[in-house]
Amino acid sequence: MSLEPFHASEALSLGVELELQLLNTHDYDLAPYAADMLRLMQKIPLPGSVVPEMTNSMIEVSTGICHSSAEVLAQLTPIRDALVACADKLNIAVAGGGTHPFQQWHERRIYDKPRFQELSQLYGYLSKQFTIFGQHVHIGCPSADEALLMLHRMSRFIPHCIALSASSPFVQGQDTQFDSARLNSVFAFPLSGRAPCLLTWDEFGQYFEKMTRTGVVKSMKDFYWDIRPKPEFGTIEIRVFDTPLSIERAAALAGFVQALAAWFLAEQPFVPQEDDYLVYTYNRFQACRFGLDAVYVDPASGAHLPLREHLLHTLERIAVHGSAYGTQAALDHLAREVAQGQNDARWLRQRQQHEQQLAEVSRQAALRFRGQAVG
Amino acid sequence: MNEWWDLWAQWLRPSAGLPTVQWSLLLACAALVGHLLQRYSGLPKIVGYSLVGTLAGWAGFGGVLWPLQGMGLFLLEFGVSLVLFDAGGRIALRWFRHNPMVLVQSLLEAALSALLVYQLLLWLGQSVPVAAALAVVAMAASPTVLTRVVHECHAGGPVTERAITLSTLSTLYALALATAGAAWVRRPDASALDALAAVLVVLGVSIASALTLAVLLRAALRLMSPGSESGALFLLSLVAALSALAAHLGGSAPLAALLAGMIVKHRWPRPWAWQRQLGPVLSLVTMLMFVLVSCVAAQAPWSMAVATLVLALLGARLLAKACGVGLGHIGSGTSARQALWLGAAMTPLSAVALLIASQLVLALPESGPALAAIALPAILLMELVGAVLVTWALYRAGEGIWPWGRTQRQTKGNAP
Repeated sequence: MSLEPFHASEALSLGVELELQLLNTHDYDLAPYAADMLRLMQKIPLPGSVVPEMTNSMIEVSTGICHSSAEVLAQLTPIRDALVACADKLNIAVAGGGTHPFQQWHERRIYDKPRFQELSQLYGYLSKQFTIFGQHVHIGCPSADEALLMLHRMSRFIPHCIALSASSPFVQGQDTQFDSARLNSVFAFPLSGRAPCLLTWDEFGQYFEKMTRTGVVKSMKDFYWDIRPKPEFGTIEIRVFDTPLSIERAAALAGFVQALAAWFLAEQPFVPQEDDYLVYTYNRFQACRFGLDAVYVDPASGAHLPLREHLLHTLERIAVHGSAYGTQAALDHLAREVAQGQNDARWLRQRQQHEQQLAEVSRQAALRFRGQAVG
Repeated sequence: MNEWWDLWAQWLRPSAGLPTVQWSLLLACAALVGHLLQRYSGLPKIVGYSLVGTLAGWAGFGGVLWPLQGMGLFLLEFGVSLVLFDAGGRIALRWFRHNPMVLVQSLLEAALSALLVYQLLLWLGQSVPVAAALAVVAMAASPTVLTRVVHECHAGGPVTERAITLSTLSTLYALALATAGAAWVRRPDASALDALAAVLVVLGVSIASALTLAVLLRAALRLMSPGSESGALFLLSLVAALSALAAHLGGSAPLAALLAGMIVKHRWPRPWAWQRQLGPVLSLVTMLMFVLVSCVAAQAPWSMAVATLVLALLGARLLAKACGVGLGHIGSGTSARQALWLGAAMTPLSAVALLIASQLVLALPESGPALAAIALPAILLMELVGAVLVTWALYRAGEGIWPWGRTQRQTKGNAP
């Protein structure tokens, strides 16, 4: 199978996907209501789409093509409101967060769909452990080569994305001590992690062909990379974000990506190279483990510095490029939170410390997704 | 069988009395049969418990008096109260604001069940008090059977949750009507106003007991974690005290427990996991309940006439529940297919029905024997068959596990 041609899209256009948790309102464990939610949501005219995910306690919503984080929020708001209304009708709750704090993976059920069954056969229990929830941000690229250049430049900022969005400190009822434990589940899959450092679409096509010849890969869907090109959309897709607890934060993160991309296009600040990836996995681990308190190793200079400091510096640097796309408010919001060391993982830990009950933390997370103030 | 026990009693002098030994052995037998039945047939354990109770009842196993009283009544009220407190605690009143059709669905199925059974029994020549009392018994579905089957087949999903809600609501209506009705008919010579006052007193005491239980529980939960062992034991002890006191105070313990669960859920929507802490204790109480119910119900004499009446009653009830649930599902967020399995999951009768029947038999001494002759076999049959029907319905709805393999809800989806 050959690689699909890269369809050009409007530079810096945005698309956001959110994987969400469906919870019962009794003990706030995951509840298998995806099919029912889909049935109800189909009756409501909305931008974007709503589709089920690997297990039947998950649902994925996505926006249409947006041009700014404000537009992302404007599209996510009616989708969120419709989700909440449908959930109310079914007596369930919808919540963000990268993991469900106390669900047991063995209780999950895989959808009876050929691809899911195939994945389940191949990956065994990993497919059930894939009951994790991420935000994917698509950023439009005018050409395939520019997309690959964008992809590898963006890789330097993967730790920033992880730390900003981290919302999965609890797994199977335990504090993992990671801010984003979700990405550890992704790492178990072969073909996860970083994409190969290829900067032209021709080279990438050759790589793809070699991989398909091995029989390991059939389509781009088989790559679970942190960032992957999406030729049919003409975008690159950043997949390291945990689903935030609110749509406001989801839109702000999209704004961050857009401002970064705007900076890349405007200044061409550096040329990516294979050596950038020497510290990639270490930086990624640091961000997952310590969130905003991580250490960041600069791939170019090898300097060690606090990620928080680098994030603030980056936010400041990209602000001028993002302002043309209306990202100022989003970046200001993120900068304030970074300065305070606040992300969703910290909020979840604070709630657990106060409530001493993860089910109650899940309930409060669901209230937060609805837009109600908690804590 | 009693002679055999008498013989044994001549040389055996157990410290806690012979009935304790008899019941302990019966429960051990029930546990074994329940386990073996589930292991080799896949049927719920409660079917095994009920079968053991039935055989014991048919063999004339003594110790439980009908109409229920004494320790038998206390144990049954205690077990039912625990289940109903939990079931009430699952009902979020705000759901009915967002989806009033669920309430319509519930009222429809309960009202249709009562009306159809009442009319049918009148048509079959039963007296008005007997038909009315059996109509009230027929309203109540069994949260007891449902929650145990759900637990055993690890069921979860819209049909499961709605079946628990609708059966709890139908139990609420039936308990309220039976409690009020019993208070009314116990005062045949009183004026309508006095009889109404008696009804209000019995309902008022139940509501006051519910409020007291809810407030005490809430106060305790300020000091204890809701998922802690201490919190669970506190709840267990309070429900036991309520079960022992409610009747003396002039109220209904199951009704009070159910209302208390609803109040706690409404006023303090925090999730709590007391069931996990009480796992084996709850299982023991449940097993005792199923053995007790079937043991008592099996003591009723069967005849062709009784069998006809029982089957007619159960057929009418099944039809009414299916129609009520089916009619009410429109606009309620479920599919027609789900409504079908929901109707099937509403069929069991068990401990609540037995308590209601016992309450009405005591209130209607003249009609009592005729009432019991139909109610007890119906309860026995629908405890056994109902558990199997619920298992099958939850499996067919794609929400429960069938013994010969897991089921999956079918839908389209994305790859990871």
